[in-house]
Amino acid sequence: MSKIKCDHCRLEFDEKVMIEDEIDNQKKYFCCKGCQGVYRLLKEEGLDSFYDKLGNNALEPAKPDSGGDLERFDLEGFMNRYVKKRDDGFLQISLIMEGIHCAACVWLNEKVLHKLPGVIEASINYTNNKARVVWDPEEVKLSKIIETIRSIGYNAYPYDPELQEERAVKQRRDYYSRILVAVFATMNIMWIAIAKYVGFFTGMRQDIKDILNFAEFVLATPTLFYSGWVYYRSAYYALKNRYVNMDLLVATGATMAYLYSIYAMITRSGEVYFDSVTMIVTFILVGKYLEVLSKKQAVDTLDSIMGTIPTEVTVVKDGTKSLISVENVKVGDVIELKPGEKVVIDGIVVSGSASFDESSLTGESDPVFKKEGDEILSGSIDLDGVVRYRATHDFGGSLLCNIVSLLEEAVTKKPKIEKLVNQISGQFSITILSIAAMTFLGWFFYTQEFEKALIVAISVIVIACPCALGLATPMATLVGLGVAAKRRILFKEAAFLETMAKCDTLVLDKTGTITKGRPSVVTYHRLGDAEDTEIALLVSMSNHPVSRGVAEFLRAKGAVPASKELSDFKEIQAKGIKATIAGRSYIAGSLGFLQEFGISVDIESENTVFAVAVDGKAVAVFELADEIKEGAVEAVRAIKEMGIEVVMLTGDNEKVAKRVAAALGISDYRSKMLPHQKSAFIENLHSRGKKVVMAGDGINDAVALSKSDIAVAMGSGADVAINVSDVVLLDDSPEALYEAFKISKRTFKAVKENLALSLIYNSLAVPVAVMGYVNPLVAAISMSLSSLLVVGNSIRIKLSLSSK
Amino acid sequence: MSASVIAMMLGVSTLLGALGLVALLWGLRTGQFDDTSKFLDGARFDGEDELKDAVMMEEKRKKALQKRRKDKRVMPD
Repeated sequence: MSKIKCDHCRLEFDEKVMIEDEIDNQKKYFCCKGCQGVYRLLKEEGLDSFYDKLGNNALEPAKPDSGGDLERFDLEGFMNRYVKKRDDGFLQISLIMEGIHCAACVWLNEKVLHKLPGVIEASINYTNNKARVVWDPEEVKLSKIIETIRSIGYNAYPYDPELQEERAVKQRRDYYSRILVAVFATMNIMWIAIAKYVGFFTGMRQDIKDILNFAEFVLATPTLFYSGWVYYRSAYYALKNRYVNMDLLVATGATMAYLYSIYAMITRSGEVYFDSVTMIVTFILVGKYLEVLSKKQAVDTLDSIMGTIPTEVTVVKDGTKSLISVENVKVGDVIELKPGEKVVIDGIVVSGSASFDESSLTGESDPVFKKEGDEILSGSIDLDGVVRYRATHDFGGSLLCNIVSLLEEAVTKKPKIEKLVNQISGQFSITILSIAAMTFLGWFFYTQEFEKALIVAISVIVIACPCALGLATPMATLVGLGVAAKRRILFKEAAFLETMAKCDTLVLDKTGTITKGRPSVVTYHRLGDAEDTEIALLVSMSNHPVSRGVAEFLRAKGAVPASKELSDFKEIQAKGIKATIAGRSYIAGSLGFLQEFGISVDIESENTVFAVAVDGKAVAVFELADEIKEGAVEAVRAIKEMGIEVVMLTGDNEKVAKRVAAALGISDYRSKMLPHQKSAFIENLHSRGKKVVMAGDGINDAVALSKSDIAVAMGSGADVAINVSDVVLLDDSPEALYEAFKISKRTFKAVKENLALSLIYNSLAVPVAVMGYVNPLVAAISMSLSSLLVVGNSIRIKLSLSSK
Repeated sequence: MSASVIAMMLGVSTLLGALGLVALLWGLRTGQFDDTSKFLDGARFDGEDELKDAVMMEEKRKKALQKRRKDKRVMPD
């Protein structure tokens, strides 16, 4: 069979599944109706140059537009939440675009929206897939705009930009401007300084020197007061709260050097240090900017969760159904749920039954069957069947709303363990500043020369410049990050290495983190005459995780689905499947399901049981369990040996939790945990003074992850989990978790060594400076020597980790 | 070389550099660098059609505003 490309999405498919169409006397092939529709539409609109722009990129196959929830975009509750009225009377909304793959997609969407009457402005940001649309409400409705986007195979969700994004963007921009100014000034000062260095050896006329000094002064002034403003601000707040930080030392050092240089420039005595001023400001500012830049991108994903929450629900009152904004639903109202709808308000079923997907709450992929009297939790999705339920909470009190607000809060207020370098730098700053003050007083009384005393005092501050101290951490962490990345472990911020090394408790999510997250067959009993190939055919028809587990097991055994006729296939949600294969009636599913047909199977198991009966007689029983990942036992043991306490949390039931915990040798575990309970558990650990690493993979873990000191996510996990996490294990393995601990501990050791080295350097260099022996040359040599030591020591991390 | 020549060269070059810096800062503040690929894509795709499009959007905005003024929903400038 040959493979051909779909003319719209450019993905390759088997020729026989393709839809053939003739457009403008040319044969075109499409993988689905959606792609065909979009292709025809673009052709009619004269937008087919899109395909030239697409180049070699492929798209996702276009989904046919269901149009189901379009009206929600025009509802009042929705408008109030997401739509902003502008001063000129137009409306504006921020959207997250789904399905943007390349620049051509951006072009197409903008083009189509521009063509729509009533759209005043449409701009899409390719980097974060966010769009801003401005429209005239008199001419076009928002639902029409969304419909247009969907008609060309994309989708859009609204989000509230004022929530977080605007602030984050503003801060980033602010820092970036300051850095631009600082870098510009530093670059220019450097070449002036080089001229002066040469002049230092060959001699330079005083008038030329004056000009160069003045040029340096012009460049250093904006750097110190505009770019360096962040140090003054930080130092001020620190002093106000009665503590001393590194920024105070930087601010004092730079200001003193600046003032002294002005004095030296005007009186034409001694050297000016404008170049040191700009360099200190610039280097440390770049380091700070990197921190701002890597502030987690969780904001984007949070927006997309918020955007999918329905704003209206169907409330049944006195026999009439009406759409009511979620905020207006009161406790006791009866709400109707249709298949595919997301639950936004908690409640108890009063009539009907359906299966619910609770994976975003518990992490377990098996649907849960709910009938009259059962509790429905918000965040789950109705898979089949119409259900009416009585609200037990209002919207604000419902689980989903709680989770979202917890996440929102957690993203901005993450606990931070104070970094070692910050602790030391406070002490260091105080020491250096007092030594400088005493030096000044000493020299002043000793020589009675104000000028000489000031120069020596400043040289103390300048030589103790935080360079060595500032370099101690970044060098070590840089090497640590490199080693980790090679082992497919991604630390999102260098500082996380240090934080992780200090943690003493590891909280593990079960499903997906230490188990494979899908059931696989552990035992297989043959009770009668059954053909594996026929069972394989039967289970291949169902997408239920249990069926898939059995299908995988049979495939591994070499049983390919029989090429026989299968008819009357029926899947009963959360129970089982039935079908007729080659004239024989097959029933398969849970023991209870078989019991309904009067077939009893004599087996007791704590695992999930999948039984198969042919013509009313049980023939095969599969026992399935969620298998523990390879290497998990060893990894947990190794982590425990490091002296780290290990706790397991799961949304699964007690029985399974106990079995997995026993197999891993974990004595402390909690079962049936909902997302907010997991996060409360972490907070409880915090209140007991523990520093917590949490490893998880699902949406249900996101809140707990964001509450922990270090959040570790599996690379294959949910987007939200990856985004709120600090460390990502790209190959999902438990060993990588152990490696992450090992690397962070080794790196932190190097950080401590480096700090010690730089303190030793200072304790040698500062006395020399105090005695007044330091000239620029000595300072330069001793500084590079100390930096070299720090770099050399950091590289040892790599050697020691690779030899183990 | 006389001191005035050096002063002039330094002054002019710093001024030119500063002008470039100001332009860059202005671009940054107005959000022109928010989408890193916008410039490149513009260079790749934008042609006569896109120019016409931009003009069309301007006119659309003007018309919509005029219509609103006529209906007296917006105070005249």
